Amino acid sequence: MQKLGDLKLPNFFNYPPYFTLQPVRDTREKQVQLWKELILDYCRTQKIFVIGLEEEFPLFSNPVIERTLSHEAKEAFLSALVAEGRAEWMDKGHKKCLILWHRIQDWADLILRFVRENGLEDSVMTVEEIRSGTESRGTELHGMDRTVLMRALKQLEHKGKLAIFKGTSADDEGVKFSL
Amino acid sequence: MRRRPGIGGLQTAAATRDQYRLLGENVAKIRTDLMKEQLTTFRSQLEDFARKHKNDIRKNPAFRSQFHEMCAKVGVDPLASNKGFWAELLGIGDFYYELGVQIVDICLATRVHNGGLIDLQELCNLLCQRRKSAHGAVSEDDCLRAISKLKVLGSGFEVISVGKRKLVRSVPTELNKDHNAILELAQAQGFVTVEEVERRLSWPSGRATDALETLLDEGLAMIDDGHRDGKRRYWFPCASSLSAVGADILKI
Repeated sequence: MQKLGDLKLPNFFNYPPYFTLQPVRDTREKQVQLWKELILDYCRTQKIFVIGLEEEFPLFSNPVIERTLSHEAKEAFLSALVAEGRAEWMDKGHKKCLILWHRIQDWADLILRFVRENGLEDSVMTVEEIRSGTESRGTELHGMDRTVLMRALKQLEHKGKLAIFKGTSADDEGVKFSL
Repeated sequence: MRRRPGIGGLQTAAATRDQYRLLGENVAKIRTDLMKEQLTTFRSQLEDFARKHKNDIRKNPAFRSQFHEMCAKVGVDPLASNKGFWAELLGIGDFYYELGVQIVDICLATRVHNGGLIDLQELCNLLCQRRKSAHGAVSEDDCLRAISKLKVLGSGFEVISVGKRKLVRSVPTELNKDHNAILELAQAQGFVTVEEVERRLSWPSGRATDALETLLDEGLAMIDDGHRDGKRRYWFPCASSLSAVGADILKI
């Protein structure tokens, strides 16, 4: 089976018509369904948070069968993810898409678990530390997108689980957990 | 016989008739008894055989199909009744009913991909994947038998031959001659183009487009505009078991 990174590619990836947006409704629904799953799987395994529609994206073309998704098709598949709350357009022109293979809520839960497992219940960390510090190494939080992380942290702040404050340097913020 | 007058003559004639009838009945009875005896012997032999080769019949698809053939030759249908001694002996009735249910399942699940027309070989592969090896292998012959049992339900399951292949149809769509011709053509590469259909079948331009549009609407075909020659290809999932997309669909 063909592989992309660590991901085993599904069979439909080698079947040319799946790269053309299907005109018949039922057929198209299934096509969209298959692509949605594949996009989420791929982004999860590759830790990809943002897909740029105008940039090269390995998942959207298959050199073996010489097929590439049209812009229209990419937008249709991503829009379907947006409709389900598994993705968000980052601009009005639909050029960049934020992929949420974990919903913000799930990310927030992951952060809480991380904090508890490391005994950080009332510690202070910087946002950067959560993303790339030694504590988070080996967890899903490591290397996560800053925008997504901030959104999850804000959600937790609303629930009173932590407080976000400005650090001394302009580009980093601190987090005070209070579980 | 010389005609004899009088009551005595009539009585003799009646007596003779009775004698003949008696004799006839006797002969018939002997024949039936003999027949019954033969049948019992045959049945017990067949039972012995089935018992002896029970495992082979269950596990080995080729042996199973030969056993069926043998039964058919002597006019016995092991599947005719689920309560018969065959079912008790071999569980063979259950085997095919179970297979039937799994076939319906797969046909329905993959319908969105293939429009309700699936290559027998692909169906068989999917069936084997689903059953794993625990239940023993399943042959195309088994599939055909199970499908023929499904007909009783009037659910419209049917096996059609297109070219060299057998396709299992699970939707009531009637395919006309034009559609069949296109499906047959598609078996070479898994797809056709309008141009190819017109050229190979010597059809006027409207005819090919019409037939292809119908096949597309029925979900039997998918379009592909991605080839670099720019010509639209009509792919037929039922004509390319290689696509194996059915397996993806079953995972969802």
